[in-house]
Amino acid sequence: MATVTFFIAAAMAVAGAAGVVSFREPIRSVLSLVVVMLALAVLFLLLSAQFVFVVQIIVYAGAVMVLFLFVIALFGPTRELARTRLRFQSWLAALFVLAFLGLVWTMVQGIQYHQPDKGVDMSVFGTVQSIAVGLFTTYLYPFELTSILLLVAAIGAIYLSRKKVDDR
Amino acid sequence: MSGLSIGGSQLDASWFLILAAILFIIGTAGVLVRRNPLVILICIELMLNAANLTLVVFALQLHNLEGQLFALMSMTVAAAEAVVGLAILVDIFHVRDVEDIDELSEMKG
Repeated sequence: MATVTFFIAAAMAVAGAAGVVSFREPIRSVLSLVVVMLALAVLFLLLSAQFVFVVQIIVYAGAVMVLFLFVIALFGPTRELARTRLRFQSWLAALFVLAFLGLVWTMVQGIQYHQPDKGVDMSVFGTVQSIAVGLFTTYLYPFELTSILLLVAAIGAIYLSRKKVDDR
Repeated sequence: MSGLSIGGSQLDASWFLILAAILFIIGTAGVLVRRNPLVILICIELMLNAANLTLVVFALQLHNLEGQLFALMSMTVAAAEAVVGLAILVDIFHVRDVEDIDELSEMKG
């Protein structure tokens, strides 16, 4: 059952990713990326990461993608030029991608897996409680730092997109 | 040893890793080939998602929750990156229409 779910979600993810790269209109790329993210959310649930699953759907497939859609809606459907300016760009990209695929493939085959940690209660693995214990005890400072990061990003975005009143 | 027992059936961790690698590489290809700056940002999001998948896989394989915590951190960073990147793009689009990322090359030395 889990195997079937994995292969369905994996096929959805790869198909969506192919759509992201190949559609001409940006809006179709964004909607394909939503498909990829939902498929990955299913995989997260399969890997007993319930909280990450919910965050993936709410924050990623929800908020971040809506942000992209807003920008596209603001500036209209800009179609991409069919031809590329640089010669050989697609060939070089294909070469690089194939080399990278071979590299990653050999790396994945040669991984030395460590033994899993002993004495972990797997019945609560990935639940909100166990995530919260990690976030608010051991990793409290990184967690607080992410809030500062989000604040800085929000201020930066407001500053960048403000109305220029005094443009001289 | 790399087997993950999920819901009674055995899945291999390397399947997930290869899937993540394929997604990451498709994202890389998009960044290399596409010309629209918006689509390039979307492809970067795809690559970040693939990296998150490996983090969650290794969290389960090692029975260690830190991978999932780091995936959450990486989602936060990805959200911040998307916000700032889109704000910069909006600022540029206000001035002119950009169909090709190579038009934005004034800042080179």
